[in-house]
Amino acid sequence: MAIKLIGFAQSPTTRRVVLVLNELGIPYELESVTEIQTIKTEEFITKKHPFGKVPVLCDGDHVVNESRAICRYLVSKYQKDSKTVLYPDDVHKASLVEQYISYELSYFDPPLSKVLYQEIYAKRRGEPTDEAVVKQSLEELSKTLDIYEKILKDKDYLNGEYSLADLFHLPCAHIVYNATGHSDIFDSRPRVKNWLDKLRERDAYKKTYAE
Amino acid sequence: MTIKVIGFARSTNTLRVISCLNELGIPYQLEPPADFAAIKKDDYLANKHPFGKIPVLYDGDYKISESRAICRYLVSKYQGKYNNTILIPHDVHEAGLVDQFIFYESFYYEPVVAKIIIHEIVLKTPESEIAKRALKDLDKVLGVYDKLLEGKEYLNGEFSLADLFHYPCAHFIYSSHADLWDKRPNVKKWLNRLRNRDAWKASLEKKNKL
Repeated sequence: MAIKLIGFAQSPTTRRVVLVLNELGIPYELESVTEIQTIKTEEFITKKHPFGKVPVLCDGDHVVNESRAICRYLVSKYQKDSKTVLYPDDVHKASLVEQYISYELSYFDPPLSKVLYQEIYAKRRGEPTDEAVVKQSLEELSKTLDIYEKILKDKDYLNGEYSLADLFHLPCAHIVYNATGHSDIFDSRPRVKNWLDKLRERDAYKKTYAE
Repeated sequence: MTIKVIGFARSTNTLRVISCLNELGIPYQLEPPADFAAIKKDDYLANKHPFGKIPVLYDGDYKISESRAICRYLVSKYQGKYNNTILIPHDVHEAGLVDQFIFYESFYYEPVVAKIIIHEIVLKTPESEIAKRALKDLDKVLGVYDKLLEGKEYLNGEFSLADLFHYPCAHFIYSSHADLWDKRPNVKKWLNRLRNRDAWKASLEKKNKL
């Protein structure tokens, strides 16, 4: 039975999982959600995600949600069948990948999500953009990227070799490049730019974003 | 060489790591920085944590930061070495679900509780709009958790890293908002189990000594 992924096809969280599915060459079906009400019903909340969120992955009878947890599950179960290594076997290297995953969660995603919400999702909902939040979030993101610029010294990827930690950053970074006027926040920093360029050259990225 | 943790025993993030070390029976030393200013100095940023945060763990020459990453490292390397406590199950499906619950903690629980801690304890502005809104949000989150815990003692059935991650933050605000937690029978029992674990009590002793 093919893996089924339930999500909004173009959302960064769904694409995070699709990137891993494509990196590891895992066949899957995407069940596209078109109406937000679908994921707020009693049935969805009871059986799929208690907070009414997507993506949700169904692997046979096994249901797991939260994009980063899904990605880790896919790596744990299927990486051995693939030539691509997203998560090293060595415990010391793997734990540094976890550290960089935590950086993404703690220092990169929060300010970036605020910018994307104000500039894209708020508009879709007919809410006004709060420019003060955008400004403050961009400042916070700039400080994070200054630190990333140092982390990436002499390295193409956060932990030296490409890993899940790099991949996790890509979906929101993609939106910045393609749907906002803020690509300079990445491109003005040569190592950050080099890093993101490399991520966007990967076949899995091109396949994910062609769909 | 003993594991060294740089952090403050009264910080939720450090307590997360201390709890994990205690649960797995791993010996360690806690080395608190001189004060909060010390972790923002150039030397600390260059050599310990580029974002100026605690905790940071040293295992011999190996250094790792970010409390949840540190805990995962400790589990990967030491689970089963000092005692029989299992924090992440071996089965890939069960481990995946523990991971899922860890993300619930990261996204739906911790941000809300952290706001309450910051406003009530650090800034001492419990009447702020942010604190009030956070309490309402926490009420909703605990409503979800009460259903999640129906028929279960812990989030994934058996005690895991996911449950451990939740307790340090709860500890700091429980007494001022006991009604919020206790009005939900499953949440109340769950918290009671977590606070009565030997490892947590040992972590608290550390906090109270320093």
